[in-house]
Amino acid sequence: MIFSLRQMHFSRCLAVVAFLVAGSVFGDGGPPVAEISEADLVRQYRERCNYVIDQTVANTDPNDLSRGSSFTIAANLFRGENLDWARERLRLSNDPPTGAMFWMHPMVLLMHAGREELNEDDWAFIRELWRTYFPYRGDTENHWVMYYVSLYLVAEMFPDAGPEAWYNGKSSKEIMADAKEFILDWMRITTSYGQGEYDSPNYIEEYTRPMALLVGWARDPELQQMGKMMMDYILLDYAVENLGGLYGGAHSRLYPRYLLQPGMAHSAAHAWLLWGQGEFSSNGGTLMIAMSGYTPPSILFRIASDRDKAYVHKELKRTRWRFRHAGPNAFEVDGKSTIPVYKYSYVHPDFILGSSQGGLLQPIQQQTWSLVWREENLVGKSNTMFGLQPYSSPIEGTMFFNSDWDTVTDLIARSKVDYDSPDKLEGGSPYEQVFQHKASLIALYDIPEGTRFPLISTLFSRDVNRRIEDDSGWIFGQGGPVYIAYRPFVPGEWKPVDWTGLLKGGAGAWFSTGFKELSEGSECLVSYSLKNGYIVEIAPVNAYETYREFQSAVKVLPIEVRLEPTPKVSYTNLAGVKLEAEYGESPSVDGEKVDYSSWKLFDGPFAQAERESQSLEMIYGSERYVLDFKNRSAVASVVKTK
Amino acid sequence: MKRTILGYLTLSLAIGFPSKGAAEKERTLFIAFAMTKAQESSSIPTDSGIYLRSEKEDSWHRIGPVIQSMNSLAVDPSAPATMFMACGNGIVRSKDGGETWRMVTGWRESDFLKIAIDPENGDNIYGTSVWGFHLSRDGGESWTSANKGLNEKYCRTIIVDHRNPRRLVLGTGDGIYESRNDGGSWTRVRSSPESAILRMDRSLNNPDLWIAGSEGEGVYLSTNDGKSWRPVAETLSEANVYGVSLHPEKENRMAAGGWSQGLWVSNDVGNSWEDRSSGLPSQNVTAVVFDENHPDRLWVSTFEEGSYYTDDDGKTWKDGDLNGAYVFDLDFVTSAKE
Repeated sequence: MIFSLRQMHFSRCLAVVAFLVAGSVFGDGGPPVAEISEADLVRQYRERCNYVIDQTVANTDPNDLSRGSSFTIAANLFRGENLDWARERLRLSNDPPTGAMFWMHPMVLLMHAGREELNEDDWAFIRELWRTYFPYRGDTENHWVMYYVSLYLVAEMFPDAGPEAWYNGKSSKEIMADAKEFILDWMRITTSYGQGEYDSPNYIEEYTRPMALLVGWARDPELQQMGKMMMDYILLDYAVENLGGLYGGAHSRLYPRYLLQPGMAHSAAHAWLLWGQGEFSSNGGTLMIAMSGYTPPSILFRIASDRDKAYVHKELKRTRWRFRHAGPNAFEVDGKSTIPVYKYSYVHPDFILGSSQGGLLQPIQQQTWSLVWREENLVGKSNTMFGLQPYSSPIEGTMFFNSDWDTVTDLIARSKVDYDSPDKLEGGSPYEQVFQHKASLIALYDIPEGTRFPLISTLFSRDVNRRIEDDSGWIFGQGGPVYIAYRPFVPGEWKPVDWTGLLKGGAGAWFSTGFKELSEGSECLVSYSLKNGYIVEIAPVNAYETYREFQSAVKVLPIEVRLEPTPKVSYTNLAGVKLEAEYGESPSVDGEKVDYSSWKLFDGPFAQAERESQSLEMIYGSERYVLDFKNRSAVASVVKTK
Repeated sequence: MKRTILGYLTLSLAIGFPSKGAAEKERTLFIAFAMTKAQESSSIPTDSGIYLRSEKEDSWHRIGPVIQSMNSLAVDPSAPATMFMACGNGIVRSKDGGETWRMVTGWRESDFLKIAIDPENGDNIYGTSVWGFHLSRDGGESWTSANKGLNEKYCRTIIVDHRNPRRLVLGTGDGIYESRNDGGSWTRVRSSPESAILRMDRSLNNPDLWIAGSEGEGVYLSTNDGKSWRPVAETLSEANVYGVSLHPEKENRMAAGGWSQGLWVSNDVGNSWEDRSSGLPSQNVTAVVFDENHPDRLWVSTFEEGSYYTDDDGKTWKDGDLNGAYVFDLDFVTSAKE
């Protein structure tokens, strides 16, 4: 399906104008996205940028000094609105400053946005904060990127400041040299070995925010250019697995609410701003992009929007750095241990089924595989399916966190409250192995005795309709425009999503807010066998005359399952492809072993990147857009085609 | 390393510290902690920092900036105004007794857990971190990694041999390693535990006596200057031992504490051990140290339930404050006399 009118949900007059323009451009049935003019794309995008900023200002109550983040203050300063409120709120909200890198980057935005409006007293107040507040650099990739980008840019504003001006006792020149080296090194590693905190519908904005700062305000031309290129890179990474604002596939990090309702994720807000998809929602990341002046290359719009044909897209990522228990598959990058993550996504006009190989790839919040499907209106929709082996242990905790064996699980659960709960919805497991070929997915589990939560769980959301448990062992359902077939190797029992009541009970403040509404009506199929697994087979509704016909086609598919000594399955899918998988072994497709050693950083019709290349080629028809990080260049071109 | 004032003076004479400076120094207890007990729905502790204990006031006083993740403190014994904090951000140094501080590490060095200083040459600074072992040859101005020979880079603790400062003893993720060339290369001490070394201590009275607490393998002792190690305290043999300490004067006396284990004391060089934790509010011990200024005093930190000291071998415990803290290090440093 091509980008269509129904995906443009603007709720304000300004947006309606854009909607009508878009309508006139796309026409009935939607012309090829390639035909939308560059000028129209940029104009519509700029209108959305202005809308984001205007909405932030419009939602400011100048009589209420108790609310308003640095983002909101920045937007008001940027527009020259509510200045008295902004000044007062700046002081109140920084008494004392908190949040480390989450304080730093919106403060930098505020300082740049307020250059014309801030007076001497304001500057003295702000500079005193930077002199006295010692922010923590954090413990993960997004923290470090936000920290060093913020630090670079704030030092760059006062390039001659000495060590007495800054909390860390370094001069601006020292700060800039150190921070720039980190930023460029992070880009080199990401474009060589893959991002560690990859493809997160939540944390995408923790990367787009600092890149927007570089694009908008770095004076150093190299950092500005590299920031722009890295923003393009991160957005391409999203665009190739985007379905109308849904970030499909396997993810490094996701919170329960966004697992259940993918349309709520921050990535969806980005899709609205960047590509006009889905609904507007207020978001710090999109505000920062809107204020930065960043303009995405138009090829990104076409890649994110054109879903005429189904395609396979593969990616190579890496795990977060491992301090301990790195394991036999670990390799080192500059002395730090990680292991490869092999991502596979089947992007169909109506759905995305995507996966990683399973195992402990990321701490706490990994989503090993997921299905999302297109819906007319994403609000309140739980248009997703996924499975997991709920796992928590000090091995995982001490692998990724600088904490003690006996305290790490407890301390993780202070913020990620469901980490140590059997009904959690996210997280990797060392006892899980997943394999996918197009619209078919096989998951195998071999769980040792004594594992904390000896079970596997698969979400059947409230939006999986027409659920049937067939005598054949298959479970059928329909999610929007797709049919779902799920074949458990061992029967399970149906449980409400939050069967311990942990989140519905409110444990975790914002983490749990509204969880009853988010989860109500959805169920998990929970199976307690230690040797276990399942097959997932997806098909578009329009491929079959009736639901019954789909079921009949699935029920006759050849399956051989063995659970002892380790789970093993041989399965021929709806396309007639024979898939074989055995726990602990490489899977095969029609008898040929899957060769993970040849996996590229990006490998699909819209993007190509070789390992260690520090480059990325975006592809759309005859268009090419090449990001060359070694040579600090981004080049668009058109190739001749037959 | 811990020393009594007498021990310190003896050492300073032995290695030629100026006696004028030494007379003005004393040993001061520090505590590095994060306030985690009240940490609800957040990944950020409600407070964190490093405090020094004032003998005069019998209370704690903050030193240095407030930064999340502050793990330990080291002071140059020959120049007590020079201090180093082991932090998540890196190493933060003061050269003026804590008046001003400067982060001396760059982005490549972070998540430090312990710092040790060459007693003969204060330019040689050693730091352990989750990323490996780091050293500086210029008083902390610049840093390099030195992990040659280590199987696991995770390094928790370090002691410089004051009899031979080119010899470093390192507690890593897979046991004890030794370097005899100033960190140039490392060799695993074969009889050491195979698991992570969490804490180490060396006797002030008998430099041949060492003790180590391990993750899952309990307490290990060496009586031949760290050349070989043997497990002691059978009751703790599978425990995670976060606190070990050797008495500053009585070489037969030692203490160890661990998770769910409380505090155990031996008075016969580790041959027998007795539980001394019945009066503590928690059996989850994260730090243990004998008091160098009050040798009969033993300090214990429990997880989030406060720090305590006893002057009567555990019969009674006195509140040492900091209820709610998760204590990462509790030890003595040299300081200018109060």
